[in-house]
Formats: sequence, structure tokens, C-alpha cells
Amino acid sequence: MTERRVTHATFTIERRYEASVARVFAAWAKPEAKQRWFACHGDWMPGPYEFDFRVGGREHLSTRDTDGVDHIYDAIYQDIVPGERIIYAYQMQLDTRRISVSLATVEFRAEGDGTRLVFTEQAAFLDGYDRPEEREIGTRAGLENLACELQRQTATA
Amino acid sequence: MSDYSVLHATIVVERTYPASPKRVFAAWSNKEALLSWALPGDDWVSGYECFDFRVGGNDRSYFGPPGGETYLNDTTYLDIVPDARIVSAGAMTSAGKRFSAGLMTVEFQPAGNGGCRLVMTEQSAFLDGHDLPENHEAGWNEMLEKLGNHLGRQQAAA
Repeated sequence: MTERRVTHATFTIERRYEASVARVFAAWAKPEAKQRWFACHGDWMPGPYEFDFRVGGREHLSTRDTDGVDHIYDAIYQDIVPGERIIYAYQMQLDTRRISVSLATVEFRAEGDGTRLVFTEQAAFLDGYDRPEEREIGTRAGLENLACELQRQTATA
Repeated sequence: MSDYSVLHATIVVERTYPASPKRVFAAWSNKEALLSWALPGDDWVSGYECFDFRVGGNDRSYFGPPGGETYLNDTTYLDIVPDARIVSAGAMTSAGKRFSAGLMTVEFQPAGNGGCRLVMTEQSAFLDGHDLPENHEAGWNEMLEKLGNHLGRQQAAA
């Protein structure tokens, strides 16, 4: 029998991007851009992507890792203020096991010619399948991918 | 200067009830039961526009003091383990303004003498100065007190 337990944790990541708030926000709001930096995980196989960017809208991505395990992400948007913030709740599953449920707040602040992004995750990790430290490392990698996406956009502009 | 602000906070409220986890869980998963206790004020009015207690299901409830502001609460259930745990995400709105968005974890643990220890954890983002963690904490204390009364009435009627 599975032991039922919940570990609650909050972490915040701040980073600066050399792009305007409008461009950084667009990378979170437009499906083509979001999928490029959010889904890319080297040799993993992403499945169909669903993205409905409005309050109450849902986002879904299932990615199969090299061991054949499906990593499933399901989000529902709770608050959107263009150019200011995005709040979404999401759950993660490994195949059929739910490993966490989170509330993520992304704040965008103009800083000179660039943008300061503040990402706050308030999470409930379920039944010992995942840990706050690992989630924070994964999230930092995702926010680094976003920097690459913004650079690619600049290079091709 | 931006009028937008976000205050993140975690609120934990615990209670032990002389009722089984199964009965306490039932009081959180049934619309009629929720309407009888889940209100922060005695004379407040409330109701559900929809109620769909299953993973992925949505609720919309409204509540507020008579003649005062009405609050809308949209909830999505994200994890349900019968008699053990409910995790949901919700957002509260009033007069078209979003006050807060949050994650709620309710744990139902067996306690001594067949009782239930309830641990409620709210992890919320309080938006633009419209609401405060203290208000939510006071509301939860009031509601968990009422839940105790609800369980007592059930017991007396049984």
C-alpha cells in the first residue's frame, strides 16, 4: 500500500533577460514560442501539445523519456495580466502516478532595456515521488531554455 | 508605478474531530454538507452554480454577507484520495477583480479513539492588495469550528 504523505514547499527564482517585457511575456503567451522552450528536453519525445492561454484555459503536455516513462503536465490558468503576471495551477504525473500539484506565479518587471522575471512556485509534493530541490533545478533549466529562445529570436530577427 | 502586487503566503490550520476520516471526508465532498458548514459568517448567503467533485472537475460557488459584496470561488479538483486527501486549485473574484489564487491541500488522518486529524494547508497568491492571508486564516478557523458543529449534529441525529 502506498503511504500517503504531502510535503509543502515554496521556492522563488529570479532572473534577468536581455529582452523587453513584451517579448518575454509573449514567450509565455504564444503557443509556438512556449512549446519551443518549454517542451525541449534533448532526446525526450514530446506528444501533442494543448495550449489555451486564457483564465480557465488548460495546457497539456506529455513527454516520453528515454526509459519509456510518460511525464505528464496539466495546467489551468488562474490569472493573466498582460505584461505583468501569469498565475497557473498545474499537476505532474509519471505515467499514472500523480507526483505533485503546484501554483506557479510568474511576474514580469521592466529593468532598464531588459526584464526581471520572478518565478514563485508553491507546491505540494505527493507520496514522496519528487522533492522541492529537484523541481527547483528543473525549473531553473526551463528558465535557461527561455533565455536561449529569446536569443534565437534576436538572432533571426 | 504599477498597482499590481502579489503576496505569497502559506496558511496551515489543524483540528481533531471525534469522527472517522470517512465521515470528515464526506463533509468535504458533498455539496449539501459543504453548504451547511463552509461559510465564514453565520448569516452569510451561499450557493453553488456547479459542483463536480472528481479529479479535473470544477466547482463554482458564491458567498457573502447579506446585502454586501458577493465573492465567487472557482475551484478545480486536482488530486482526490478517498477518505485521505483532497488537493484543489481555486481563484476568488469579487466585482470583476481577482482577489487571490491558491492551492488547497486537505489531509484526513486517523487519530485516537476513531477520530480524525484534519490538516488544511492553503498556499496562496494574494493579489493587488485586495485580500490578506489573515482574512483567509480567520475564515478557515471559523469554518472548521462550524464543521465540528456539523459533525456533532450528524452524530446527535444518528
